[in-house]
Amino acid sequence: MNLVIPGPVPVPLPAPAWLLQLLLVFTFILHLLPMNLLMGGAAMLAVSSYVGRNNPHHRELTRRASRLMPPVVAFSITLGVAPLLFLQLLYGQLFYTSSVLMAWAWLAVILLLMLGYYGIYWFSMQQEELGTRGFWVILVTAIIFLHIMMIFVQNMSLLERPQDFYSEFMARSVGAYLGSLDALTLARFFHMLVASFAVAGLGVALVSGVWKGEAPEFAAWARRYGVKWFLAWTGVQFLAGIWFLLEQPTGIRARFLGGDRLATALLALAIALAVLAMLAASRSLAASCFAIVGTISLMAVIRHLVRLERLRSYFDAHTLPVEGQWVVFGIFAVLLVAGLATVGWMLYKFFRAASAPTASA
Amino acid sequence: MNYPVWEPPMLGGGLIIGIIAVLHIFVSHFAVGGGLFLPLTERKAYRENNPALLEYVKSHTKFFVLVVLVFGAVSGAGIWWSIGLVNPEATATLIHVFVWGWAIEWVFFIVEIAAAFIYYYGWDRMDAKTHLTVGWIYFVSAWMSLFVINGILAFMLTPGAWLESRSFAAAFFNPSMLPSCVVRTAVSVALAGVYGLVTAAAIRDVALRMEVVRYAAKWVLAGTFVIPLGGVWYIATLPQMAREISMGAAPAVTIFAGLSIFFSLLVVLFTFFGPYEHPRYFNLTSAFVIAIMALSTTAVTEWVREAVRKPYIIYDYMYANTLRLDDVARVRQKGILRSALWVRSHEVDPANPARSGEDIFRVQCALCHTVDGYNSIRFAVKGWSRQMIDYQLLHLNELKGFMPPFIGTEEERAALVKWLEELNPQPRTLEPSYPGEKARAAPQAGPGGAQR
Repeated sequence: MNLVIPGPVPVPLPAPAWLLQLLLVFTFILHLLPMNLLMGGAAMLAVSSYVGRNNPHHRELTRRASRLMPPVVAFSITLGVAPLLFLQLLYGQLFYTSSVLMAWAWLAVILLLMLGYYGIYWFSMQQEELGTRGFWVILVTAIIFLHIMMIFVQNMSLLERPQDFYSEFMARSVGAYLGSLDALTLARFFHMLVASFAVAGLGVALVSGVWKGEAPEFAAWARRYGVKWFLAWTGVQFLAGIWFLLEQPTGIRARFLGGDRLATALLALAIALAVLAMLAASRSLAASCFAIVGTISLMAVIRHLVRLERLRSYFDAHTLPVEGQWVVFGIFAVLLVAGLATVGWMLYKFFRAASAPTASA
Repeated sequence: MNYPVWEPPMLGGGLIIGIIAVLHIFVSHFAVGGGLFLPLTERKAYRENNPALLEYVKSHTKFFVLVVLVFGAVSGAGIWWSIGLVNPEATATLIHVFVWGWAIEWVFFIVEIAAAFIYYYGWDRMDAKTHLTVGWIYFVSAWMSLFVINGILAFMLTPGAWLESRSFAAAFFNPSMLPSCVVRTAVSVALAGVYGLVTAAAIRDVALRMEVVRYAAKWVLAGTFVIPLGGVWYIATLPQMAREISMGAAPAVTIFAGLSIFFSLLVVLFTFFGPYEHPRYFNLTSAFVIAIMALSTTAVTEWVREAVRKPYIIYDYMYANTLRLDDVARVRQKGILRSALWVRSHEVDPANPARSGEDIFRVQCALCHTVDGYNSIRFAVKGWSRQMIDYQLLHLNELKGFMPPFIGTEEERAALVKWLEELNPQPRTLEPSYPGEKARAAPQAGPGGAQR
């Protein structure tokens, strides 16, 4: 094995590695929520768009849920910026290398994202005009997002295998790596995909509350349907999750199966919260949502611990020199609070506003 | 050198970044200027009690959202993606220096996106005052994200006191940051008018169309009035060599700089004599003509801005091929192949020096040159003898001020010469014109020519 990892840039980290890791995981959780709704939502819309040809409930669900999708895409992208930023800061030596080795596929993300985003807008704005062709539009859109997810999984997996960098570099022209279909990578992909389906189901159940006033019968159906979808895919997730765990290298798997108390406890808690979310789904959606956000958060932490473990022999961000830029960090922190407060204020005004036209009066 | 080099055939990495960047800049400046255009025009409609104008603003919002939120946001990510692929070392450096700046921009980006959606969906839902406030929130956050990213961009050309102090404040508030911000704000205003002309030209009601067309034309003229003033200030802050490159030292760059002025003048003249003076005859085709001229201005101006930074990617700190100035002496002594990580061999292969030469080209030249496409190296050395190539490499930065010096051992230079020479196997016609080199070259030039 010829291990080649680029050296760090001679500019110190602007904050300690632990803080940057905390921000990386926290902002990744923020990204995961809309990203799951986007991927799972596109898949659900494809199903409902097809079934909706003969089923008024699915037709109505397609009509209403598709309108919510453009902001979901926008926030998936926007909230994805920060974790990628912190990833580049902490693990840039690995991330840039893996990205360059698969440059064509990685750059294709941008084109696919553009197509997928316009696909969502096309589907949500022109449903009447599209008619039954709408199904094909949303199906292709969902497949596009599926590809984006796969490319991300491939890059994040290669990033964790620096021992393969040089052999991949020698194997083909730089940028031509398309990914690996080994069991671990596939299990990772399915784990992410199934999670997105489940979360989108819960999302539909949750948003049905907004439709209750206008269409109570449909809203009740949408809630039941969303919960069923959530329960079914969370059930599948137990299988997908076990597969993913079993495919982990022995040392890592052992840590989560009793070898390391903290890792085992985190995994057990994440699973317990998922079970709780399932049990609560038909009684209290709020409780179910809280539990599933807890599961997602813990899974993001676990994912980070697995990354640290996989990279242990090759790379440790804590060894990088640090020179804190605390004043600018403080400005960021204050602006983050002010920014979120501003968004909160705008949302409050938006939802509080009467639905009667006033701005154009 | 630190990272593997991706060589997109024909285009080269630089041009891929350039294409994405120009399209993004053309839209992202509209995202800022349009953010001012919307609430100001909405307020004008309320003040004049003009419901038709309000309807126009509403339809313009939809256009704005479709262009800005999708293309603007995704192409912005596209720049980030492409610079990371083409020049990871410089990208990593920028992120280390500016991560909190980017994080601050991210906050404004969140507010901007949220405000854009609420403004769009809020048209028939919110009261006028709150709706307008949301519009202003959008503009302020959009402009602030321009303010932040502008500081980072300007840093690459004029890092100023950061070279000594290494402080964030020195890096961000660098010499060209403020004038560049003025120019970009003015460009945003002008582009808001250009896009406004496009949607205004589609209005069916003749009276309203004339009114809005003339109104949008004023935006273009106001913006383009400020651009040259800010431009002069901006140019005054540039390093001397950057100024010289754009004003005659490098003909291609000078021509593009001239084209930038030419296209800008065309935009002004077309706008003044078209939509401003004769709004009645203005139609969608004319609007697209102005938009294409504005896009051309953006393209050539950004190209010039990138070109004058040569031979650096971060001025006086890192060469365009990612070699830091601080590392030059070490790499020169150690050799480029031994310093580079991603090569097939760390020694010059005596049996096949051209193969090593190709590796050297890849790590030292391929960030700017392709073999056969954009800025083709095969074309650049066509007709050159081995001696000529060697002389050029030996005095690269002296002969071509916008290029970094060749860094490597004599053996490595010879290997690169060998590879470059083999790119064009046809008989050579150009000989070095300096007598000393010719005399030295003569004994080696046999029938095999290329052999050392």
